Amino acid sequence: MAKKAKSRTVMVRLLSMAMTGYFRSMMRPRQHRPLSMLKYDPIVRKKVLFLEQKRGGK
Amino acid sequence: MDIRPQHVQLATALPKRLLDFFRKYPPPALTQGLSAADVPAPLAASFETPAVASSTSSTDPNVPAIETPSAALAERTYRNPFQPTKNFATGKWNSPVFGLRRQAEIVKLAQKHGVVDLLPYTIKLPGEREKRRVERGLRVKGTGVGERVKGKAWERTLKGRLEERRNAMLAMPQMIEDWKQRGHGRGWKKWPK
Repeated sequence: MAKKAKSRTVMVRLLSMAMTGYFRSMMRPRQHRPLSMLKYDPIVRKKVLFLEQKRGGK
Repeated sequence: MDIRPQHVQLATALPKRLLDFFRKYPPPALTQGLSAADVPAPLAASFETPAVASSTSSTDPNVPAIETPSAALAERTYRNPFQPTKNFATGKWNSPVFGLRRQAEIVKLAQKHGVVDLLPYTIKLPGEREKRRVERGLRVKGTGVGERVKGKAWERTLKGRLEERRNAMLAMPQMIEDWKQRGHGRGWKKWPK
């Protein structure tokens, strides 16, 4: 049986680099480079760098 | 002054539970050879150890004459049935013969009949609770010298996590600068796991 086709987009998790454990979930095209952006972290109450978490494991 | 009839009467008036208790566990003042005068003689005679009872039981018809003159039994160290005992052979602790509930019941019964002084030491004796309260106060467990509170996992790890967060925030301006220089993530290599 043919494998199910992969979707064009993936859900990714962007982790706060302030090491607070705060994250945002975003959708990006599968072929796109990993996301990274400056966003507000409510725990440290500042704009900090958010980087996409490496996927894998599952 | 002859106090014998009163005390014989007292001994006979005791409920079976107390009499049985005193038969099995004679008052410590008698077995330890302390001041036997503290205990009224006839009352004491009815509770005496078998070795001593054999000589005096004829005066007290209420006490069955137990003819077991074993000096070793009388000389053995007194074991408080209200306290845990340590087995030195195995190094383990044995529970008291009477649990706290039964200790309290016996103390209350003895108090009712005025023989509470003959009981061995127990924390259920009247006034013990107040004494301990005076000694220890309303102290909070874990606040004494050498005592620690384990705490929840988030409490135990809080310090380390805050330190990590602080270091990350100190390094954040430099990190953002690097990130901007590398084309907003285009050349970024260190992705978090």
